[in-house]
Amino acid sequence: MKRQNIDPITLSVVRGVLETAQREMTLTLEQTARSSVFNLAHDYSTALFNHTPEMILQGQDIPIHLGSLIPAMKAVAKFFGGDIHEGDLILHNDPAYGGSHIIDTCMYYPVFYQGELVFWTVCKGHLTDVGGPVPAGYNPNATEIYAEGLRIPPVKLWDRGFPRRDVMNLLLTNMRARRDQEGDFNALIGACQVGARALIGLMDKYGKLLVQDCIAELLDMAEAHMRKLIAAVPDGTYTGTAILEDAGHGFGDMEISATVTIRGDNCHIAIASPPQVPYFINSYEGNSHSGVYLGLMMFAQLPPPYNEGLYRCVSTDMGPPGTLCNARSPAPHMNSTTTPMETLTDAVRQAFEQAAPAKVSASWGHANGCNIAGWDKRHDEEYVTMVLASIISGAGATASQDGWHACGPECCFGALNSGDIEILEHSYPIIIHRYALMEDSGGAGKYRGGSGTVWEVEPLDGPMTLVTFGEGRRIPAMGAAGASSTLVAPKVGRLEIARGGKTQVITKNVVEKILPGERAANRNPGGGGYGNPFERPVAMVVEDVRNGLVSLDGARLDYGVIITDRTSLRVDEAATAKLRATA
Amino acid sequence: MHHQYRLGIDAGGTFTDFILADRDGGVRIFKTLSTTQNPTQAIRNGLALIEEETGISPTTLVSNADLCINGTTVALNALITHTGAKTGLIATSGHEDSIEIRLGHKEDGYRYDPDYPPATMLVPRYLRCGVRERVLSSGSVHTPLNEDDVRAACRHFLAHDVKSVAISFVWSVLHPAHELRAAAIVREIMPGVQITIGSQLYPQVREYTRTSTAVVNAYLAPILGRYVAAVDAYFQDLGARQPVRYFQSNGGLALSAVVAEKPVYAINSGPASAPRAALYLGESYGLKDIITVDMGGTSFDITLTCGGEANIAKDIDFLRYRIGVPMIQVETLGAGGGSIGWIDAMGLLQMGPQSAGSVPGPACYGKGGDKPTTTDANLVLGYLNPGGLVGGRLPLDVEKARAAITTHLAAPLGISVEKAAYGMFTIVNNNMVNAIRRVSVERGYDPRDFVLNCAGGATGAHITALAREMGINRILVSKLASGLCAFGQIISDVRYNYMAPIAARLEGATTAKRLNDTFKQLEAQGHADLAADQFGPERISIRRSLDMRYVGQVHECTVNVDPFDIDEAALERLKAAFHGRHKELYTYAEPQSPVEVVNIESAVSGAMDRPARMTIAPGQGAHAALLGTRQMIFDASGVAQDTLVYEGARLGAGDVVMGPAVIQEVTTTIVLEPGWVAELDRHGVYVLILGQHVAQHNKALIPA
Repeated sequence: MKRQNIDPITLSVVRGVLETAQREMTLTLEQTARSSVFNLAHDYSTALFNHTPEMILQGQDIPIHLGSLIPAMKAVAKFFGGDIHEGDLILHNDPAYGGSHIIDTCMYYPVFYQGELVFWTVCKGHLTDVGGPVPAGYNPNATEIYAEGLRIPPVKLWDRGFPRRDVMNLLLTNMRARRDQEGDFNALIGACQVGARALIGLMDKYGKLLVQDCIAELLDMAEAHMRKLIAAVPDGTYTGTAILEDAGHGFGDMEISATVTIRGDNCHIAIASPPQVPYFINSYEGNSHSGVYLGLMMFAQLPPPYNEGLYRCVSTDMGPPGTLCNARSPAPHMNSTTTPMETLTDAVRQAFEQAAPAKVSASWGHANGCNIAGWDKRHDEEYVTMVLASIISGAGATASQDGWHACGPECCFGALNSGDIEILEHSYPIIIHRYALMEDSGGAGKYRGGSGTVWEVEPLDGPMTLVTFGEGRRIPAMGAAGASSTLVAPKVGRLEIARGGKTQVITKNVVEKILPGERAANRNPGGGGYGNPFERPVAMVVEDVRNGLVSLDGARLDYGVIITDRTSLRVDEAATAKLRATA
Repeated sequence: MHHQYRLGIDAGGTFTDFILADRDGGVRIFKTLSTTQNPTQAIRNGLALIEEETGISPTTLVSNADLCINGTTVALNALITHTGAKTGLIATSGHEDSIEIRLGHKEDGYRYDPDYPPATMLVPRYLRCGVRERVLSSGSVHTPLNEDDVRAACRHFLAHDVKSVAISFVWSVLHPAHELRAAAIVREIMPGVQITIGSQLYPQVREYTRTSTAVVNAYLAPILGRYVAAVDAYFQDLGARQPVRYFQSNGGLALSAVVAEKPVYAINSGPASAPRAALYLGESYGLKDIITVDMGGTSFDITLTCGGEANIAKDIDFLRYRIGVPMIQVETLGAGGGSIGWIDAMGLLQMGPQSAGSVPGPACYGKGGDKPTTTDANLVLGYLNPGGLVGGRLPLDVEKARAAITTHLAAPLGISVEKAAYGMFTIVNNNMVNAIRRVSVERGYDPRDFVLNCAGGATGAHITALAREMGINRILVSKLASGLCAFGQIISDVRYNYMAPIAARLEGATTAKRLNDTFKQLEAQGHADLAADQFGPERISIRRSLDMRYVGQVHECTVNVDPFDIDEAALERLKAAFHGRHKELYTYAEPQSPVEVVNIESAVSGAMDRPARMTIAPGQGAHAALLGTRQMIFDASGVAQDTLVYEGARLGAGDVVMGPAVIQEVTTTIVLEPGWVAELDRHGVYVLILGQHVAQHNKALIPA
């Protein structure tokens, strides 16, 4: 305890109140937002900042947002400089100011106490639409950010307590499904207010100075904790490399590498990636922070709470401006929170696997999903949404257990919520024919990766536009500690369109028109395995076969286990022993 | 003569509590150890104990009781230990995995934890059979039921010795025929098997919730069915005049046939009677806004009533399983007398959720525990009687408590043992306060508008501190606090929930009529069910609730209303109630936006007669009950002061105790922090008021 005036008890109390404040903000967003991405999917984050502004608490929301709120808050505060007043409320989405992608809209509310700026309550959420030529924002044909939607640099939505109706109207006029977007803005504003209420209550009780000191102490403690973890890793330089698939853009596969340098209790993470491309997979620096921090967390495996102190001993270099992971305006970027972020995360994860092999878990399935749009005849209105159920992949296995089924994608790490299918069918004119686990989709390993999912949809009574995004359709999720799969095809994602008695398999990002009677099935990859699959106990392989998670071929090819038939599940012990010995 | 007694039996994890009320206002608590392996044994043991202590034989007692009421943890234990029946699921083809996909979510708090396991599947994947059939969101049939698929599923289940079958199809709530036909086929091929039908158990929109609820129900049905049959038979043998009533998680009683069929209604019944008990205690003072806190050995349960209504939770995760049916909202925290204090990786002092349990227990029990617990802190602070708990039957060792706190907390933090003990006390209280916010602030209520009610044996030491932290200035502590939930059960009513999906925008005469007709239908069913149980219409009451939202929102907000005829004009009343509730909860409303209703529900209750209230003779003044003084610590300085100790059993009605002080009851200890004043009323309830509020509340609080 560096600060003499605070006692460990008050410190714990302050910590508890901060977490409660953040939790109440999150609850407000979840319960009131309109967009299914937002409230079903939990694709939002809430955070508290102090006046400097340093992040003092981030919720356990989506890792996509883990890092980018930090540079974004700083950029927003810098933009306004001294021009921040009580009753102001700032909106922003532009990656040039630290944002992730423009469909993620951030609200920043300065909390004043006795006339002085003390805190910021901040939240970010994925709207269903942000204008631009393609509904829901994912425009695979965009060669510039201007073709992806409305860029909003930091702008005051309230000015000293007065709502700027003109500004709000300007924004909403440029977005589809205006009522939904307006509802989501209200939800973000409500959440900021709820957080401010709790922080003011805290200061009323303990006084501003003591609360600030406790928070400074909490940041220092988080810093010390991360430094301890880093110090336990041998000094050295560790490199990880991952491949980003060409998902149809024609620029070829791309290599992203991460070099992690450990010196004592400091850690430097340097990213190298090819030049940016005129396709929506460029990541601006703020977004790349999220990928780097997620890779770091897959090593650190920390329980909450999370604050910026954790990252004080971590320096980053995203590579030269104008590269894929340090994109410069006007690079298109809409897909960046999943692609290339997940590949970037894999590279960092793999570098840490070299550094601390026993601690790091396998990669999770990458996101490859779809957005849908069309006309809802039931209410005579347009609909547009990202389908979260279409990106639910399998989790990576860890050093202690199989990966969770249906828990990914990697960039979300289980924080998503795919929504009830009846609610989706009630909200949009669609029929969801399948939402299920997939045989052989989990990566092979002593601990198996979690199963991916398939989401199959048919429009109810009119044409539907389906826009796919992401990757992970050729290269399966990376295993750890020597895991690898022989049977690769079922472990990667793809889009299958059934029309006219034929099934078309698509592994690129496309815009497709689907008619009633036709079906589109989006398959998501499973997670990577951990350890040598031939060391997986035979009984566990048999259980997986019994449960339809592994096929007879999968048992033989991936695990070296020969099972004679699916009914008796009898294991040919001799053949199995022989096969496993050859590996 | 046969109305002499009412008997309540509440089986908890550790103890089974017996409450015996007689018609003259005598109320007594008895406790026996629970017998998880053979749950009816604890009932036999308890009745034997009552005979030993009162001379009333089980036959005399039961045949002269107007009601015997049983709250049971049989279903809860089976769910915790995963020892339910072997269960199969018949689902719409393509949707067999929804209970394993769990909406693709991993619980918060474990985001980067590599060791947190997935939830155990109550029905493994190979016992989940998809059948071809499909109903659309409009309620029309897209694919008719393929009966051969159902038959194949039955044969598969028979081959695997399945004992219980859940049937749950997509949109079955709008078109139950497919589920009903499938059930008929199952009954034909698997005679005697237990069947749970999703659209009948939980007729509400949301496939995952409905399927998961049906699966939990099917998993528990055989085991709970056997239990209630055994209890019913035992009480019939003893000459019971009335069927035994079972307590449900919705806060109401039910007949055995109902809980055997719908055990999912009985999974968290233990704490669910607290709101009823709270309202009963508050009735003397006209209090209807009450937060009840119940601290036991390992957990802390919170419930809330507002305007005389308990908070109800629907569609929640309970023990990691999604449960739809309405339950009294119980917020449970791993914070009890046995909660262990520790220093986390960041260097912060934390309390729980790990607990020393009853074995080895807190360090001061001297049974081998060496970890510092809440009870150890309370002992070091002087709040607990070193002579022992439960009337001296459980002696406490102060030195062991001090040693445990010193070794694990005070020395590493570099503070005194007293300061560390007060810190433990503060942090456990703070954890509880944050949990209380979850039932109050998060539900749109300001806790300062509430009275705090104390339940459970360990709560009394914390109750004034909790009130101080929450800004609450009135507290009720019953002499029956340690068995308050069992008491709540014997004063509860029969209550059943009836639900229907609506999924319509709140506009137009057609929708109004549909709402009106559906409510009327549900309530007619309720009346019929209660009439069959001898309730006349004059004893039946109804509460309606509607799950509503702004069009485009995904989560609904539940709004409670009294029954009234719904015509087009009345839709405005419903909308106004929704806008108001939305603003309470989330700081804003959108009166111009269209509103839709998704699900509706009627809770239909049959009123039971109440037993007489406990009566206490007038006192001679608190000095007559003074035991002496003890050194106690009341602030972070860790400095002790001489504090008066009173014996509760010797206090009479009207006696007043000024804090700082401690009142020792046989099964609980009430700590009055400085500034608090307690008065015992003639019904055995201590009313605690914060000093500066005494004058202003005196008139209102102390009945003439």
